Amino acid sequence: MSWQQIPIKRLQHDGCLYLKFAKRENKTILAQCYQAPPLRASRALYLNSADPSEATVYMVETSGGLVAGDQNNFEIDIEEGANVCLIPQSATKIYPAFNGEWSTQCINISIGSKASLAWKTEALIPFRKAKYRGETVVHMARDASFLWGEILSPGREKRGEIFEYSNVKSNFQVWMEGECLIYDSLLFSPDHMDLGQSGMLEEHLYIGSIWFVTPALQNMNIRKLNEGLQQFCDMKVCASILDGKVANVRWLASDLVLLKKEMNNTWNKFISYKD
Amino acid sequence: MYNLIEGSKNHSNIGGTNTDSWFLHLIQIHDSAFPTGSFAHSFGIETYIQEDILRDENDLTKFLDMYIRYNLASADAIFVKKAYYLAQQQDKASLIHIENICHGIKLSPETRKASAMMGRQFLHTVRSLNDNELIKLWYEKLKNKEIKGHYSIVYGIYAAIIGADVKMALEMFLYSSVTALVQNAVRAVPLGQMSGVKAVFTLLPVIQETARQVMTLNLDDLDNNSIALEIASMKHEFLHSRLFIS
Repeated sequence: MSWQQIPIKRLQHDGCLYLKFAKRENKTILAQCYQAPPLRASRALYLNSADPSEATVYMVETSGGLVAGDQNNFEIDIEEGANVCLIPQSATKIYPAFNGEWSTQCINISIGSKASLAWKTEALIPFRKAKYRGETVVHMARDASFLWGEILSPGREKRGEIFEYSNVKSNFQVWMEGECLIYDSLLFSPDHMDLGQSGMLEEHLYIGSIWFVTPALQNMNIRKLNEGLQQFCDMKVCASILDGKVANVRWLASDLVLLKKEMNNTWNKFISYKD
Repeated sequence: MYNLIEGSKNHSNIGGTNTDSWFLHLIQIHDSAFPTGSFAHSFGIETYIQEDILRDENDLTKFLDMYIRYNLASADAIFVKKAYYLAQQQDKASLIHIENICHGIKLSPETRKASAMMGRQFLHTVRSLNDNELIKLWYEKLKNKEIKGHYSIVYGIYAAIIGADVKMALEMFLYSSVTALVQNAVRAVPLGQMSGVKAVFTLLPVIQETARQVMTLNLDDLDNNSIALEIASMKHEFLHSRLFIS
């Protein structure tokens, strides 16, 4: 067998990031941190002037993206009374699955009583031929708060890669003491479905979602929030409240800059409810 | 259905007629006179009608084609099938688990409420027709607020209890979901009765193909692809005037 025929066995990156947060006196600390490449975490920073006790941690993917066969695992454990903000350093890039294998990402989050987590919005960018499976499962206490934002991109739009990925599935679940509040499972397989159909993505490219779970939702005026949201004719968006426990805002948009701006505005409104 | 049995000397031409006792009852529970309240729900389609996007028979047929393939097939139809098999196995804990997921996957408040309202009405009615233990238990759990009563789960359970064929129960579920929406669209667009009949007729092969496909799917295949419809359903709550609850 010549060297050209030897199958190249690429080392798979099974990244791991385990972060445990606890409340010590009036401050949230990063009590435990285990990290395996390519995932890394910054130390806890205290950047929120409105809540100086809140720990902010930046999460870094040092390899730049998930290659086919890679798996990243995140375990986030937030103990009673701790307040945490997690910020992905960049968008999650999914490289082409030339070897046919899936790129996977699993996030498990536990939020204790009177604790909170805000996971800042970033985009998932599946490149041409990418195959991706993502699962996020959140278990939270009844009096905890959780704010999450995400954007699913059609690919590298500026390079003309629009819906050229093979298959993307992301499953996002939020459970509150055994009750399923959110089960958002998105599957897009552009070769097998016409995403432009009425009722699906229509003429839009990006899906934006913000989920907000907090006991303070009773005071939210969802009609007013909607009036502020629906300003752009080329963007579909609506906010709603599910069972008095979850605020759900969903966007369909074609302009990423505008979408990010709108999502950021909504994020800030929700943060003010949390406080 | 009316297949002559091969080699039979019987020339009455009814050899393959389905005479199972559940068959007529399956038709009955899908009849528009059976109280589930489906006539009051558009599941977001009324928003499309008011926005003048859904205007004629062609728009309606195309929209419902999408609705069957990328909404019903990837959520409610899977729940029907799963609930059917779990009811056969008397696996009550798993039934409660999937009912929980069925609640969570409906991400528009009105669609979530509509599914539970229809299920509760269906459960109330079949409870008076059948004293099966599982139906009694489901009713008790609903009364105790341990479940929400989502229609696809109750329907799957009941189809198993009456001994219906699972694929036929699925086809009927898809068929009645579509005809209810067509009837509602005929009133709301408005469309002629013939347009409604033609739309349903065009969609019959899609229903059959989808039921076949759902037979190969399981809970891992639960998906939500119809994001624009979901947003339309969320917006429905804020429309100025509405014919339908959802």
